[in-house]
Amino acid sequence: MVKHMKHWVFIFAVMTMVLGVVGPRHALANDRLDEGVALVNSLVERIQTVIGDNPNQTPEQDQVRAETNAIINEFFDFDLVARFAAGQAWRSASPTEKSDYKTAFRRVLLALAETQFEYFRHIEYTHKTAISKGPKLMIVSGMVQDKTGEFPDVVISWRISTKAEKPVRIIDLEVENISMLITQQQENTAIIRQNGGSFQALIDALNQQADDIAAGKASISD
Amino acid sequence: MRFFINLLIGPLVGLLAACSSMPADQISDARDPYESTNRSVFEFNMAVDSAVVEPAAKGYRALPEFMQDGLSNHAEWTSYPSTAVNSVLQGKFENAALATVNFLVNGLTLGFVDLTEDKDDPIREDFGQTLAAWSVPEGSYIMMPLLGPGTTRSHTGFLLDVITNPLGYSGQSGAETIQYTSTPVSVVTFRGNNFDQINDIKYSAADPYAKTRSFYFQYREGQLNDGDRAASTESDDAFDSFLNDEN
Repeated sequence: MVKHMKHWVFIFAVMTMVLGVVGPRHALANDRLDEGVALVNSLVERIQTVIGDNPNQTPEQDQVRAETNAIINEFFDFDLVARFAAGQAWRSASPTEKSDYKTAFRRVLLALAETQFEYFRHIEYTHKTAISKGPKLMIVSGMVQDKTGEFPDVVISWRISTKAEKPVRIIDLEVENISMLITQQQENTAIIRQNGGSFQALIDALNQQADDIAAGKASISD
Repeated sequence: MRFFINLLIGPLVGLLAACSSMPADQISDARDPYESTNRSVFEFNMAVDSAVVEPAAKGYRALPEFMQDGLSNHAEWTSYPSTAVNSVLQGKFENAALATVNFLVNGLTLGFVDLTEDKDDPIREDFGQTLAAWSVPEGSYIMMPLLGPGTTRSHTGFLLDVITNPLGYSGQSGAETIQYTSTPVSVVTFRGNNFDQINDIKYSAADPYAKTRSFYFQYREGQLNDGDRAASTESDDAFDSFLNDEN
């Protein structure tokens, strides 16, 4: 009987410890769920404002680039995104390589955004859920509907950093459970490994990719 | 059951052992020990895509919308028997019933018209997912000629799907024809419905092979979780570990 009681006292103690330690930390992240949802909603509003209501008035390329740059700085933790995408090679890269890589990576993001910007005119985003993934992360999910009906509805999830004493910032976008940043990291890692561990090879590949995307867009619009 | 699985997986593993593996420091993903061979097969598949699949998908996209919908519906319909069988094997009886009802009702039009117009379509289940549900290890990443990306487990599952497809046992030549044509139709409709996304990878990625591999593993994980975002994924673990390392 005494042994049985000891067993329950032990379980109670463990539960108290778990709830005492984990409970408040998750609650801390939960308090920020609303901030994360608001961040995504204001990002969507911002993009719609830039695009405008008039389909005949496409924003100039320079304006799109400037706005995309501002959006990246305001809504995303670009520094963290860049470091994550570089993978383990980041640690051994020189300060110059890190700086060059960030510039090249931003060029790719801007080039991609420019090619996709007009697509945003035809979509509608509806918020669905917000879930905490521990004290430092949360996921905001929503449905993207193509107003033209050409594409089926797509579930997208924004991974948001909720680090203590820092503003919430978007660090990743998942489309149908495929993380853009994980994909970028795995692609970057492959490029470095395929080139004998050269970080410079990644920088060159990213710059080449940005040039190719820009050239592709130019050839389409010609 | 285990003997049956080993019997099927054994020859495939033997075949894969013949593939050349790379030195560990050049492998860009631990799940892909045959990267060198896989990259060669990927190049071959991309050549086939450029010569056959992409032009066919372009033709599919040029069809009137109702014909595209019809072909997509048909491709989906041919997968229902397999979904029903695998749902039962995984204990997902509601999904099995849904797949059976959809197959029977839409069978009146050979699946070209979705007569049910049910928003809750059955979730696609294949034998690879069944093997995962039975805790069979994933194995290595293998790029198969023509079949594309997969793992030892998922490719084995594909073989089992072909073997166990009820359409093959109906004894009717029409059903067998549907079974034989279902894969090419599915390939072309899939390529056509994801035309821009696949071309983005093919023509714009810095390393299309690595990007395809990454997409495959994440997409497959989503399928294994039935798209449940609340489930912890490898991506969540990677971000958790990264953020913890930062401190």
